Amino acid sequence: MSADAFLFWFLSLLVLVSGLSVVLLTNPVYSALCLAMTMVGVSALFVTLNAYFLAGVQLIVYAGAVMVLFVMVLMLFDLKHETQAFTRGKITGAIKIASVGILAGLVVGAITIGKSLENIKAVADNAQAADTTKILSENLFLKNVFGFEALGVLLLVIAVGTVALSRSKGGTHAK
Amino acid sequence: MQSSDILSTIGLEHYLVVSAILFAMGMAGVLMRRNLIVMMMSIELMLNAVNLSFVAFSKFNNNSEAQVMVFFVMTIAAAEAAVGLALAVAIFKRFKEVNIRFFEHLKG
Repeated sequence: MSADAFLFWFLSLLVLVSGLSVVLLTNPVYSALCLAMTMVGVSALFVTLNAYFLAGVQLIVYAGAVMVLFVMVLMLFDLKHETQAFTRGKITGAIKIASVGILAGLVVGAITIGKSLENIKAVADNAQAADTTKILSENLFLKNVFGFEALGVLLLVIAVGTVALSRSKGGTHAK
Repeated sequence: MQSSDILSTIGLEHYLVVSAILFAMGMAGVLMRRNLIVMMMSIELMLNAVNLSFVAFSKFNNNSEAQVMVFFVMTIAAAEAAVGLALAVAIFKRFKEVNIRFFEHLKG
């Protein structure tokens, strides 16, 4: 087995196990730590896909900023123990698990059938082995510059809105 | 021969299957868990699964548009996490609880 294949299987196992433990662990702090592990694993999978810039952004934004946000809020809540971590009701729970399983089965089945119908060739083998960052930046700043600026405006609105939300009457300062 | 081929050559469908399973886990988390914060973590899990499939398609189709889309999705996810956590803080200060079983003011 080549190094690429071993890396893929190891990373996908890491991502899936830690993703499963996000859902299954009842302590929210452990869930947050497992989510950080998942983010790191997904970022490493991005590296195996030659998306180096996105891997860095994933590490900084998700494993850095978003996880710090989650853990800070969890510490603020001071959840020692969690009552009723999972949904009640055996029938509705079974229906939910079955719907999730059907969705996953449909997607995986579609992928395997699509593979048997049309063998998707890896075009990326010979062309552009490494330098996707330059192509990404050209695409981002030449073709999609309006979306980029709109995202900047969106982030500004979100920052103002978050502060306003946490200071609003009936919110955090309600008596 | 077929199974060893699946094990040793990693193609697009491998990444897509991992992404689908990760998405299903996130969906199960949103449906099954009752803690507001863990539900938001599961939403992040789903967004990551979508990002993974975008990047896999981008590599195997040799197209960089998908990576721009991943960039946008990450920004939206960060904004969503900020707003959602601010709402969670507001809800916690009011109800002293983050279990959604106790929020019934919006129930029809």
